[in-house]
Amino acid sequence: MQEQISRAEIAGGAAPSGALVHEDTTAKWFLVSSVAYFFIVGIVAVVIAAKFVWPELMSTIPAMGYGRLRPLHVNGMLFGWLLAADMALTYYLIPRLCGVRLWSETLGKATAILWNAIILGAVVSLLMGWNQGLEYAELPLPLDVAVVVAWIMYGFNLFMTISQRRYPAMYVSIWYVMGTILWTAFVYLTGNFAVLFTTGVNQANLNWMYVHNAVGLIFTPVGLALAYYFIPKASNTPLYSHKLSMIGFWSLAFVYVWTGAHHMLHGPISQWLQTIAIAFSVMLLIPVWAAVYNFFATMKGQWHQLRDNVPLKFLMSGVVFYLLTCFQGPMHSLRAVNAIVSKTDWIPGHAHMAVLGAFSFFAIAGAYYMVPRVWGKQLYSDSLANWSYWMWMIGGIGFFVTLWLGGFWQGWQWNNPAIPFIDTVVALEPVWLVRFFSGILMFAGILFFSYNILATVLGEKPKPTAA
Amino acid sequence: MLRKADTSATWAAIISLVLFFIGGILTTVVPPLVDTTWAKPFENADPAKGPTGKLTPLNELQLQGRQIYIREGCWYCHTQQTRTLLADTKRSGWKGVDSPVSTPDEFVYDDPHLFGTKRTGPDLSRVGGKYDEQWHRTHFRNPRDLVPGSIMPPYPWLVEDAAEFKAIVAYMQTLGRAKDWRPDNDYEE
Repeated sequence: MQEQISRAEIAGGAAPSGALVHEDTTAKWFLVSSVAYFFIVGIVAVVIAAKFVWPELMSTIPAMGYGRLRPLHVNGMLFGWLLAADMALTYYLIPRLCGVRLWSETLGKATAILWNAIILGAVVSLLMGWNQGLEYAELPLPLDVAVVVAWIMYGFNLFMTISQRRYPAMYVSIWYVMGTILWTAFVYLTGNFAVLFTTGVNQANLNWMYVHNAVGLIFTPVGLALAYYFIPKASNTPLYSHKLSMIGFWSLAFVYVWTGAHHMLHGPISQWLQTIAIAFSVMLLIPVWAAVYNFFATMKGQWHQLRDNVPLKFLMSGVVFYLLTCFQGPMHSLRAVNAIVSKTDWIPGHAHMAVLGAFSFFAIAGAYYMVPRVWGKQLYSDSLANWSYWMWMIGGIGFFVTLWLGGFWQGWQWNNPAIPFIDTVVALEPVWLVRFFSGILMFAGILFFSYNILATVLGEKPKPTAA
Repeated sequence: MLRKADTSATWAAIISLVLFFIGGILTTVVPPLVDTTWAKPFENADPAKGPTGKLTPLNELQLQGRQIYIREGCWYCHTQQTRTLLADTKRSGWKGVDSPVSTPDEFVYDDPHLFGTKRTGPDLSRVGGKYDEQWHRTHFRNPRDLVPGSIMPPYPWLVEDAAEFKAIVAYMQTLGRAKDWRPDNDYEE
């Protein structure tokens, strides 16, 4: 695959003198640190999966307890790996889509340093148990403030770049990045600051609005921005429909934010609010299908490229996982289904398919695409990249499917009060064992990926010459 | 109008924020104004209207225990909500008495809320008063001594620190006690 892309790259790289040269330092810094956190937090992930099977594992050390490592896993993967990788890739693609340099590399580098300081602060505070007690918003207040500052620096830099663009018409990825920047600002403020002024159900409602939209209005739009950019790029095919991408964008902007209360179906929250959340959750199928149809239609006649184009493999598998996860979401929101799957192990199966299967796959594809280009080197090993794909694919499917089956079964058992709770725990032991081994495979994916990126960055394998 | 967003970043930004704020405000700011039970602490003296009782704020020791519960991440595996599902009311029940479902007015003083999203261990919304101090001491030291097959990690440091142990047990004994749905001091033998 690299052969093909390299040739295209050479064609682009051999631009006439005076052509725009991107510095890309900010993108490089963000990407390298995100890959490092992916690896470190991947170890944490395997440890907590092991704790389900061997609960005594490291259980005498408070900082290594499940309750401290789980938020480290969630926050580390979401903000240390995925969001940082997404930021790296948007620092790469926005200047290119706008035909100008990044507005300020200095500001970008400062953002990268601040972001790393936040993640290190998060590691320390979560291991110490300095936990605010709100899901996805565990970090103590000073770090929340630092996140807001970093986000303003990031958003300002990209908005200034966009405002100076050379092409007036904006490609859909630019919209999604702008949407991400703006929505994230308000979603984050709600989930980390507004909650401090509320209690009880009111606070839970704000918390779920944040938790849901952390995925729906942060990782979804930026993930789609990547997919809309990298699918046409990696396959060398124009996007099927601009209009359809608009429909997807505006329906996403309107529909997503209404659905937070579906996290409390059957719970102590007003029934009418639950019903609103259900109705809008079902409507989510509109933006999802608009995006997925567009990607599939773009690939029409191009599917043969999947045979040896690794970034495209990640991208299109990510699209399929995105479709599946976004089909599950509305289905879980139906009261009858929710009564079975809610609070079970089905839910981590669903969440991992969204965050790893869909959005991380987009970011991984972007990294495989971007790294050789910004460092001006050939990817260290195409074969290793292919192996990382299969490790994630097999491990991921093993993980998702066993948790769905196990979770569904668990939910059925819970709904039969004649079965003592502990029996429903013992019944899931094999599920957690398979999950652990699937996790090992997924970690192998991380290992191959991060080694490949590292070896490319540090290695001396230059771009093949055009000749 | 949406067409304008094709070439104008300002338009795109404004429209995407307007669309976002419609749903954002209607689902976060408006609901507590419409449904006042979210902010009114539970109080009922009339048995005809359901379980009687009164929600009181936690005292200092109990609040300290709650902080430990948060610090150790208990809430990642234990929910605190008896949902409107028959099985939930049976599982939260005690000795043949079904538990009442959780209502918003029972959680008015909760900050942060601890409803939880994952039930790896049993729900704790009505656990108060079910197990005595000695039970919790043994259970924290090694859950499998009391519940074979449990996958809860041991928390020996909670038992070793007498003050912390006292606080967390004091907190857990308050859970679900605002509604007087069964006799007090009914610890498992």
